[in-house]
Amino acid sequence: MSTKDDELLKELALEEYKYGFTTDIEMDIAPKGLNEDTVRLISAKKNEPEWLLEWRLKALRHFLQMDMPTWQNFEHPDVDFQDISYYAAPKAKPQLDSMDEVDPELVSTFEKLGIPLNEQKVLAGVVAVDAVFDSVSVKTTFREKLKEQGVIFCSFGEAVQEHPELVKQYLGSVVPQTDNIYAALNSAVFSDGSFVYIPKGVHCPMELSTYFRINAENTGQFERTLIIADEGAYVSYLEGCTAPMRDENQLHAAVVELIALKDGEIKYSTVQNWYPGDKDGKGGIYNFVTKRGICKGDNSKISWTQVETGSAITWKYPGVILKGDHSVGEFYSVALTRNKQVADTGTKMIHLGKNTRSKIVSKGISAGVSQNSYRGLVKIGPGAENSRNFTQCDSLLIGDRCGAHTFPYIENRNKTAKLEHEATTSKIGEDQLFYLTQRGIDPEKAVGLIVNGYAKEVLNQLPMEFAVEAQKLLAISLEGSVG
Amino acid sequence: MITQVSDSLYSQLIKTYGGNLPSAEPRSLDEIRKQAFERFKSTGFPTVKNEDWKYTNVQPLISQHYELDAEPSLVAVDLDGANIPQLDAYRVVLVDGKYHAGLSDTVDMPGLSIMPIDQAFERLCFAKYFAEFADKTDNPFVTLNTALFTAGLFIEVGKNTQLSKPIHVIYVSNARQPVFNQVRNLYVISTFAEAEIVESFVTDPQAARSLNNQVTEIVVREGAKFQHYYLQTAASQGSYLNHTEVYQEKHSLYNNYNCTFPGPAFVRNNINVRLGDSEVESHLYGVTLTADNQFVDNHTIVDHIHPHCESYEWYKNITQDTSTAVFNGKIFVRPDAQKTNAFQQNNNMLIGEKSAVYTKPQLEIFADDVKCSHGCTIGQFDNEALFYLRARGISEAQARVLLVHAFAFDVTSRFANTVVREYVEHLVEEGL
Repeated sequence: MSTKDDELLKELALEEYKYGFTTDIEMDIAPKGLNEDTVRLISAKKNEPEWLLEWRLKALRHFLQMDMPTWQNFEHPDVDFQDISYYAAPKAKPQLDSMDEVDPELVSTFEKLGIPLNEQKVLAGVVAVDAVFDSVSVKTTFREKLKEQGVIFCSFGEAVQEHPELVKQYLGSVVPQTDNIYAALNSAVFSDGSFVYIPKGVHCPMELSTYFRINAENTGQFERTLIIADEGAYVSYLEGCTAPMRDENQLHAAVVELIALKDGEIKYSTVQNWYPGDKDGKGGIYNFVTKRGICKGDNSKISWTQVETGSAITWKYPGVILKGDHSVGEFYSVALTRNKQVADTGTKMIHLGKNTRSKIVSKGISAGVSQNSYRGLVKIGPGAENSRNFTQCDSLLIGDRCGAHTFPYIENRNKTAKLEHEATTSKIGEDQLFYLTQRGIDPEKAVGLIVNGYAKEVLNQLPMEFAVEAQKLLAISLEGSVG
Repeated sequence: MITQVSDSLYSQLIKTYGGNLPSAEPRSLDEIRKQAFERFKSTGFPTVKNEDWKYTNVQPLISQHYELDAEPSLVAVDLDGANIPQLDAYRVVLVDGKYHAGLSDTVDMPGLSIMPIDQAFERLCFAKYFAEFADKTDNPFVTLNTALFTAGLFIEVGKNTQLSKPIHVIYVSNARQPVFNQVRNLYVISTFAEAEIVESFVTDPQAARSLNNQVTEIVVREGAKFQHYYLQTAASQGSYLNHTEVYQEKHSLYNNYNCTFPGPAFVRNNINVRLGDSEVESHLYGVTLTADNQFVDNHTIVDHIHPHCESYEWYKNITQDTSTAVFNGKIFVRPDAQKTNAFQQNNNMLIGEKSAVYTKPQLEIFADDVKCSHGCTIGQFDNEALFYLRARGISEAQARVLLVHAFAFDVTSRFANTVVREYVEHLVEEGL
């Protein structure tokens, strides 16, 4: 490595986090600490029915009995669960009817983030947005238009009030309260999130999107997303996230549950750009998320796409349970880590039904002194006749101090299944760089080009608007990282 | 990780050896044994909660009763099973882990010493290398072996010595009562020496159950070359835990060919290779053919510590009936190991209706200027290929044999010794 490279690497480390501002807004924050009273308080604030409170309390009791896992490929930070406030919301206001009633401070925050809440300003109207500020859903756009088709897209709190039967039927059916310690925590204290229901045979007319923003200090964000595609329904859902720059670490422990019934299809895309901490690894978000979908009916499909560039520690395995015959699960991921970031991510594909197919494409990029791990499970049950899996996980190393790891678990109990797995690790080819620079492209742009090409297979899966954002995000994160 | 003390083998071991470990040896060894025993006492036997033993449940093995340190009954030892046609080799026979002079060839080659391990305690290289490598891993069976081994083999190939013919080591399980054998080997291939060792595992038809906990430490010194074959052909009474720890010095070459055939009920192989200096090359090949209710688990670690090294690993599993095959291959590339070239491939063919394959090809890479890749596939007989062959008048059974041969060819074709290769191909055919 030449000195020039080192300089560029240094620059890369200093690359600013442009969403690091905070918003001064009147907040309603619960006192720190976690106990039954906290849970009761949250439940009361949300005006929840008795069964949900009981459900939360059950989760809390499980949480208190569970130990931290030790299998992960990073040092688990000490999280003091008593030093976190479990509820933060912009000061309560009566139900909002129109845009004018939303706190202008909030509107401008989301505008800074590039999320137009103002419906009139969205020209083509292809994306409906649910904005979640700290733990509370602020505004959901285009609700009326979606309602015409019978699509329910609202905050989780509203869904509990307006569609309790759906929530009761599906909540916790994919990620039970006891799934893991953070899922248990989330189940106990989740404050809001998004709820989507697409009725039978409806092809959702626009992309649905949630934008998560952590703003308050010393709070954790625990939102819950539940998406149900009924028979023959289709929905594409996007999720984006940012947080201010702070010296302390903040915890984000969300749970996402997807349910696809017969012939249903859900496409879930994430562009995760939580604050990653500074170059010394100070601050940043702990992103410990449980995401899982179930292809319940025959011929259903669930597809996860994720672009992970933020967070001090990313720890999640979006998975699909392929229960219905002929169902399809997909996982596309780009995870970029730099400075002292850590990513331990991958997927779980559980094949139970006949003729089920899954495809995994994971691209890891590590720079600086970061550690990037792919951990995946492909499990073929005894009854999963003729199932098929293809897995590809590639790692790109930029700099000689970073690490790339793969932990693929492959378990097959059916003799008619076909599985393939391949993985490569390499650095950016000097010949590729030479080819581009020789044609007058400066090294920085050349690296951007190569990395974007490397990640193309995944980026192509993103809806148009997000693909552009993700591409930019990768380019910004990589500026000056000639390896 | 702590096992219940009610485990019969565990409590039996603690009761028998708690106060008096095998001794009459150099003082230094006493200390090593004592520490190892303490370590084993605190960890106990591994359970499936332990990541390295996730798919491998040893509880049924250790909850049975065994005779500890039984004297071998030398009534007629049947060695036919270990015979490799046309192999001209120095034969070394261990009956229930103990060196048997009567059945072994006398070796008078200068530069080559073969002896029971308890006669090697005074040797310089024993003191230097014993328990230096295997005990650094956290395999409880290794610490148990270090604490309690009573027999085994010491082989030293002297400086610049090139063996004219291979050494064929035969382990016969012969005891008429259930035994727990702990065998400990140390092989030192000195600088610029070349050696070839073939190890066969067989069972006397009259033998009772046996649990064999074997540890082999191997040092391949500068510029040395070592071809190492494992041929696991024991019968179903046998259960094997076989840990091989290899340490390689500069410019050395180590090739391991690890073959398991239908027979032993339980096999767990740990093969760890540490590339302790630069310009080192290692190859690990494996063919596993399982049948009935067999359980075979191959765990390998290739540890690249220094730059400019190459490793190449290829394991093939073929599972029949209700058998299970496990493969776990780890490749580490340490921060200084630039210019590493590491390759790993694991292919599996499921034939048995109820057979299972669990595989975990794992890479951990801390250096950027490296070329590392791994691949893994699971499949079965290609029906079109079967049809192609049958349409040409080849019987179905014959066609299957052909296809399995073709599947295993990538590995068998790498065998340096053609006599062993033919023998292995024959065993594959027989095992189908």
